[in-house]
Amino acid sequence: MRARGALHFVLMESRGTRGRLVFLTACVAIGVAAVVAVAGLSGGLQEGLRASSRELMGADLAVQSSRPLPADLDAALAEVVPGARRTDVIELASMASALASDGAAGKSRLCELRVVDGEFPFYGELGLEPQRPLGELLDAEHAVVAPELLSTLGIARGEGLRIGGAEFRVAGVVLEEPDRLDFSLALGPRVFLSRAGFARTDLLGNGSRVKYRALIALPAGVDTDRAEEFEEELEDRLANEPGVRVDAHQDSQRGLRRGLDRFERFLGLVALLSLVLGGIGVAQVVRSWLATRALSIAVWKSLGLRPREVVGLYLIHALFCAAVGSVLGALLGALVPLFVPRFVPDFLDPGLVRAWQPLALVRGIVLGVGIAGLFALTALTTLWRVPPALVLRDDAEPLAAPRSVRWTAALLLGAGLCAAAYLQSERLDLALWFTGGMSVLAAALFFGARGLMRAAVRVPRSRLGPYVAHGLSALARPGAGTVGAVVALGLGTLVVTTLAVVQSRLEMELSGSLPAEAPSLFLVDVQPDQWDTVRGVLEDAHATNVESVPMLTARLSAIDGMAPARGWYGEQRLTWRAELPPSNALVAGALWSDPERAEVSLEDRYAERMDVGLGATITYDVQGIPFDFLVTSLRSVEWESFGINFFAVVEPGTLDDAPHTVLAAARVEPAREQLVQDRLVADFPNVTVLRVRAILEKIRALLERIALGVRLLGAFTVAAGVAILAGAVGATQLRRSSEVALLKTLGVTRRGVAGLMATEFALTGAVAGLLGTLGAGLLSWGFFEHVLELHFDLPLLPLALGVVATIVLAVGAGLAASTRALSVRPGRVLR
Amino acid sequence: MTPPAAPRVECRSVTKVYRTGGEELRVLSSVELTIAAGESVAILGPSGSGKSTLLGLMAGLDRPSSGSVRFEGQALEGLDEDQLALLRRNRIGFVFQSFHLFPNLTAQENVRVPLELTGVEGARERSRELLERVGLAARAHHYPSQLSGGEQQRVALARAFGPRPTLVLADEPTGNLDGANGARVLELLREMHDREGTTLVLVTHDPAVAARCERRVHLSDGAVVRVEP
Repeated sequence: MRARGALHFVLMESRGTRGRLVFLTACVAIGVAAVVAVAGLSGGLQEGLRASSRELMGADLAVQSSRPLPADLDAALAEVVPGARRTDVIELASMASALASDGAAGKSRLCELRVVDGEFPFYGELGLEPQRPLGELLDAEHAVVAPELLSTLGIARGEGLRIGGAEFRVAGVVLEEPDRLDFSLALGPRVFLSRAGFARTDLLGNGSRVKYRALIALPAGVDTDRAEEFEEELEDRLANEPGVRVDAHQDSQRGLRRGLDRFERFLGLVALLSLVLGGIGVAQVVRSWLATRALSIAVWKSLGLRPREVVGLYLIHALFCAAVGSVLGALLGALVPLFVPRFVPDFLDPGLVRAWQPLALVRGIVLGVGIAGLFALTALTTLWRVPPALVLRDDAEPLAAPRSVRWTAALLLGAGLCAAAYLQSERLDLALWFTGGMSVLAAALFFGARGLMRAAVRVPRSRLGPYVAHGLSALARPGAGTVGAVVALGLGTLVVTTLAVVQSRLEMELSGSLPAEAPSLFLVDVQPDQWDTVRGVLEDAHATNVESVPMLTARLSAIDGMAPARGWYGEQRLTWRAELPPSNALVAGALWSDPERAEVSLEDRYAERMDVGLGATITYDVQGIPFDFLVTSLRSVEWESFGINFFAVVEPGTLDDAPHTVLAAARVEPAREQLVQDRLVADFPNVTVLRVRAILEKIRALLERIALGVRLLGAFTVAAGVAILAGAVGATQLRRSSEVALLKTLGVTRRGVAGLMATEFALTGAVAGLLGTLGAGLLSWGFFEHVLELHFDLPLLPLALGVVATIVLAVGAGLAASTRALSVRPGRVLR
Repeated sequence: MTPPAAPRVECRSVTKVYRTGGEELRVLSSVELTIAAGESVAILGPSGSGKSTLLGLMAGLDRPSSGSVRFEGQALEGLDEDQLALLRRNRIGFVFQSFHLFPNLTAQENVRVPLELTGVEGARERSRELLERVGLAARAHHYPSQLSGGEQQRVALARAFGPRPTLVLADEPTGNLDGANGARVLELLREMHDREGTTLVLVTHDPAVAARCERRVHLSDGAVVRVEP
């Protein structure tokens, strides 16, 4: 048969079935819209970040280190990029406090300090008030701060504040920074100081955690895309300067982009779930469509069409509808990056998101057609069973479908799902987990639904009343497509309920009370000679669980005499203690067991990442002096205890006399936290106070915004489930019409008929909701207990609400899809 | 002396048993029948005698429970579904009692289906020509629901003879038609058989219809009881 003939058959065969195929299109469109929305928004943001990379860095290149930059950096620059301009920036977190008119210390706040020396930034513009260059506003006596700091400290422009023991006047307010994004997790509001002003503070003491950066602008006329080339050359030139990192502007906001990638991966899989549900809907529509075409199929076969040609005929149909649905869904999803940032401008800068993402549309369409095609194919394998003898006998026995056909379709579906998951996540392990997990969930829902419905049939109905009795029999009616609808709706309920339960539980963890023994304050950069006094302040505030450890910053310089991989070159925090805290447990070796050698105990997963085990020798460089430590034990650490924990703990007696600071933790009542902070900042301006509750609140707020997006995506899965239910109802339009006509003939009113149908849909929704929320409860429990290792109590209210919501949705969708059947007049149908 | 032409269809000890709800129903019992090329044969019998079943076995629409059905010397039971489909496509035409036209296709499109399947050039023109032959050129663009029973059966005839099959099987072709339409359909069937030289096997319960064929095979309770002449 020629292709043109085949196409002709497809077009001819599609007449009269287009109404039914609308549901198929809708199923695909919803899923594709979700996929394109996620890919479009993420791609738009990534592209925006890339396009604004120079503004986001404020330069073409950046050289950074946790130590003062190499003295020969200028020489290196002159060699690699002659004519480049350089501005140095120092960044650190510190405390700022209000300065009342009587000179006493006022309220304090953790802030992010940026010390600028020279032109800043090279690219992008700071939004300042008054609108003057930053260099004009800053001098040794003045600072420029974020408006949030003014409101927190209760001061205004022109008034004084204290930073690092020095007093400054607020010369201006920074309203906008091109390299500070609203959705990144900042520790505190921004404060700009000049170099001279910073020199007046005593913040550059022992152990201060400072980032030194040199921002570099390429000379005019040099292609800025060559920045990566210069980055490599500069890195080679500075290879002997350990701990120095060079970044080109194309790498700006690296951490944020990595976070976006992870986020896109997760959301991409959630979106794919909607599409998979759409695929289940496609299979359902195709199956019910084929059920009405059995005789036509037999006639095709009797005329000489081979089974695979019949499959091809109907597959082209399904693919055509899938293509239409995919395009519609892609267009819908493409609106998301266009409009969503406008609704949340404080979270997503509309100017940063590049809305037009053609690759996202292509991805959505390819996935939509592919997934729909694979699910349609599995349904179409039933075509093999249609006997051509049906043209002669209504009761002709179905043929046996070749096992190879069924297995091939199932394998193709599995491989296709895996490929789609890989495309969305770019990770094979996640793709395999997704495919396997989906299959297990769908199978569990399928068998659960079948079991429940069979059980429903056996329920004695004599005392249940006509509505419930009718609903129960309708539930298990063969050919009603109820199982498919239950699986799809149940999956949707499972996803949304799981997301909601996990998110609300996490929020509770983050915003609720801390674990009973957990500290609420961490004090960083306390000098050893300050500690006794600081402890006195804590005791005055009735602090409990006060803990302190020495801490110094060292550089990992060798493992077993060999230089470590580049990623391990950075600063490492070390402490020493005779005994391990309760949150640490030895898993290998023994603590301080070798009297001949200085020892170190490593956290087990940290050691695994470093590829280091017992007996290895680690060399730490402490202010230029190398110290060798033998790894004699490995520990597991309960990081969720919020206690003071370290990846590396060295044996006491080796580094005790090295310059170090004290890291302390304490639990203070919430009402006293601000007072403690204010007093410490006033008396010890070098000490940084980290308030755990405030940080957790920030994380919680960010999580809430992210969860909103996730819940919206989850809504797509529910919408897909509802579309499938509506499709299943629509597929039985003819039967329902006959049924309605008969009922009306017997004297049942329209309201009564609607009541009967509503009961059927409510029972379907109840089965789906019950199974879905049960699955959600199990998944959430497994996630909290085994992944996060947190205790989890099953939240009955959200789960019950999940069941109720599913019932309401099912009744609404079912009745909406039955409108035509409900309006049918008895005479017409019974004629 | 020319050797005798190979039979078009041979049934050798053909038996067909259906299993319904755990019970066995023997529809055909050891049927022996040979149909020569170009012959027109009527298979007669009361309702339930196995006539349509025998026709279905000859077309490869079903498989015998035992025995063998041969088409032009080839045993059909050795062919898979694909091969049977190709056989029907290229060599066998079928006319059904219930017409079995595709409701979504016009009369002309219905006639075109087997022509497109066999890759005939000028399928559109040929289908038009066929419809003219059965007197329905003016109704070419009507759907089956817009045609009378007789008209639908004439379209089915045109469809069956379109690709010039070597065998046409007709299952009660006039069963759903009134006298006048039935006669017209039979006349067309005979004309097309005579013109194309197609072997024709026709199932009927009406002796008057059967009388128009060269040979009549009587079935009763699944067995051949009489052959005339």
